[in-house]
Amino acid sequence: MRTLKYDIVVVGGRLGGSTASLFASKSDVDVLMIEKRQEIGSPVQCAEGVTYGTFETLEMKPSERYVRSRIKGAHIYSPDRRRITYEGGIAEGLVIDRKIFDKDLAIESARAGTDIMIKTNVKDLIIENHKVCGVVAKHLGKTIEIRSDVVIGADGVESNMARQAGIETYKNPKKICSCAQYELVGIDVDPEYLEFYFGEKIAPQGYLWIFPKGDGVANVGVGIRSSIHTAITYLNRYVSKLDATPVELNIGGVPVSGPIKQTYTDGFLVVGDAAGQVDPITGGGIHTTISCARIAGEVAAESVKREDNSSEFLRDYQDKWRKEIGENLDKSVMYRNMADKLNDDDMNALAEFIETQDLEAISKISVLKFVGKHPNLMKVLTELL
Amino acid sequence: MDILSENCGFCGCCVSVCPENVLELEENGLNALDGCTECGNCVMVCPLGALIPEVE
Repeated sequence: MRTLKYDIVVVGGRLGGSTASLFASKSDVDVLMIEKRQEIGSPVQCAEGVTYGTFETLEMKPSERYVRSRIKGAHIYSPDRRRITYEGGIAEGLVIDRKIFDKDLAIESARAGTDIMIKTNVKDLIIENHKVCGVVAKHLGKTIEIRSDVVIGADGVESNMARQAGIETYKNPKKICSCAQYELVGIDVDPEYLEFYFGEKIAPQGYLWIFPKGDGVANVGVGIRSSIHTAITYLNRYVSKLDATPVELNIGGVPVSGPIKQTYTDGFLVVGDAAGQVDPITGGGIHTTISCARIAGEVAAESVKREDNSSEFLRDYQDKWRKEIGENLDKSVMYRNMADKLNDDDMNALAEFIETQDLEAISKISVLKFVGKHPNLMKVLTELL
Repeated sequence: MDILSENCGFCGCCVSVCPENVLELEENGLNALDGCTECGNCVMVCPLGALIPEVE
């Protein structure tokens, strides 16, 4: 059996893996990234919307190679199709081509010094004296042992690295958004606005989205948390009414439980979907993952230099990511739990209220009067407060 | 639980909700190891309906 030695091994070559390995390599340590698929960036499991803040975290400028559409805002539709429009702030950003973006990030990481193995499946962690000391991988039928000071698990929602390291990543199925998306051609949408549709019939306990990619092309997808029908059933039902044709089908699961409790152990860190680092309200995980993965790469590199890969040292990763996005994610979990209790009537009433009020001059009395007419909303709000 | 392999899109949704950890995602296939308790979690989250409860 071949044996290799690196300072850091990163398992998974998507956003989390490339970002962690990029920032670890920038800190001048030996890094290996392992991707099980033969092509980085494919298949896409994402609606491909990203905020400008993501690129600040990456210290990169968005490239024309992958930018498909510049977004000014979002149209949100209630179950009875009332439209509320948000502009600016977090509604602003880009729709990108993740296949090219992910590959570009991997290229950046490689340029910074990361070695990459593709079509290589990590089977097991090497654990000695309760410390993770590397991985056992398989490439084209050959087994390779790769020893390292730190392993970073960036292996996605199906993560088994963290489980092997003794970190519980099991997700409650009610907290997994089951998603299906087509990239459609010939769809008539405003190229500068995202669209979100809510309602029990269209996407139970989730939403349907349209993310424009320019020239009449858009990602149209649904995310649901319901076992009545599959995600693809809801998607096909909606798409059959459009005169558009698909060129790609993407599927995946988005964890909306909020982050897992512990994201480190001796010689091991976990980032991204595997760690539940996804905003539970929007289901967006690009910025959260990139923020956390950067920290993971930097802390892992520091632990190599200090020759201390203990969980006491690596805890710094969790402290730092929690400081950066922990509070926002906790709030989102709270709002998610609240939104889960709203039915279609509540959402329609809320949309009507927002539509008919001057939000700049909204009064407490008008809010109380409104809530008084909707007992379920009152109940949900009382629980929240 | 049975796998309709022609429906599987290899997304890994099911793996994340398996409490027994008996689902294994390879690059082009999903394997079910021994120990399934028919809890139905994977059936519930599969976007393409590739997992169905085992018929007795």
